[in-house]
Amino acid sequence: MVSVIVSFEVSGRKVEAMVAPLTTLQSVLRNQLGLTSVKEGCRQGGCGSCTVLVDGEPMMSCLLPVEDVAGRRVTTVEALSTPERLDQIQRAFLDNNGYQCGYCTPGMEMVAKALLDHNPHPTRDEIVDALAGNVCRCTGYRPIIDSIEAAARAGQEAAAR
Amino acid sequence: MTIASYYRPETVDEALGILATRGPELLVIAGGTIAMPLINEGISLPTEVMGLRRAGLDTFAPQGDVVVIGATLPITRLTQQTDVPLLRLAALRTASWSVRNMATVGGNLFAPPPAGDVATALLALDARVTLRGLDGSRELVLDKFWTGFMTTALNPGELLTEIKVPLENVTTTFIKFGRKRDNTPAVVTVAVVAELNDGAVAGARIALGAAGPHPIRARNAEAELHGRALSASVIAAAADAAAAECDPFTDALASETYRRQMVRLFVGRALAQLKPATNGREA
Repeated sequence: MVSVIVSFEVSGRKVEAMVAPLTTLQSVLRNQLGLTSVKEGCRQGGCGSCTVLVDGEPMMSCLLPVEDVAGRRVTTVEALSTPERLDQIQRAFLDNNGYQCGYCTPGMEMVAKALLDHNPHPTRDEIVDALAGNVCRCTGYRPIIDSIEAAARAGQEAAAR
Repeated sequence: MTIASYYRPETVDEALGILATRGPELLVIAGGTIAMPLINEGISLPTEVMGLRRAGLDTFAPQGDVVVIGATLPITRLTQQTDVPLLRLAALRTASWSVRNMATVGGNLFAPPPAGDVATALLALDARVTLRGLDGSRELVLDKFWTGFMTTALNPGELLTEIKVPLENVTTTFIKFGRKRDNTPAVVTVAVVAELNDGAVAGARIALGAAGPHPIRARNAEAELHGRALSASVIAAAADAAAAECDPFTDALASETYRRQMVRLFVGRALAQLKPATNGREA
């Protein structure tokens, strides 16, 4: 086995990782780069808790060999906010009880981010469709959908000002 | 981690060369949504893996009355690019957004439960597949691509490179029935392509997913329709024929018996959707 070095961008920062072949992006983000928002949930692509954006599109980082993101832009939830200020999606989750234990929240928020970037005015059905790959075992989903609706409204109000 | 190499060829020829050199030990993946879960769980323990993401097969090209789909076109891009309603519907009912961004059209022909929903739609559309080796390529109708449970007509050294879908003026319906609405394997998937002439069926193809060792055509059911108007009794006869000729399996989602009943129910519903309701009520 020969390790390989992979260079890519994480949330605006250039990074390099030395990995065994076929190491997953999830493992590199969490275990090498310390981005603990990226959960190792089911490792099957079934729970969505490892969701990150690759060139702006949501993907399951547990199914993605890190070699395949060489030269590409990866975004994790850590990029949304600064220590002083939450992103409007995070603010909306906080205000609408969009999380309980918080385990699924980063994946949910990354899907919300991609959805609102593509479609700033989603219908409730479009939000439900977008979240179909993300499992929450606490809230029963309604507060999460409410949160994303609220984030969309906040975005529209900000755009109108 | 026991994997010695992850090859990432940049052309199909390079991929075929690696396949020829490394031989049957090489696991070929594209989007990774089928193989990576098995590798993560330690169920699949390949020593060498080749990924086709960069091999230039993520194409979508209408060519006259055929659309040529590259084998590694992500399912999301199929939903964005195709104007074939049956393909779009099947693609949208496949897995979840994040998985559709990774999973590929060609990969769907190899996906569990055996083969996916896009594969079932492609079978109903009478798609052809191109299998390419170092010595050249050959085309097969999709119906001849699957040879049994998780086995295909691919020879050693060959790659599935493209899927050709004829563009016909036809009426189609698609129903995926699962244990929940989204992000779930099918209990049964039904895709119907029909040519209707003055209310009578001039020709029909009915494809069933999760109702056999691979997606299958319900040819006896198709024969029941031929030349007939889609009356309730004709639809019932076709649905009964499909239930009799399918060969479903039992898994964690559904039993063989249940699947067979669902084939009857959903073939009937799919056929009833082919035409506007008559006598003011849905069939």
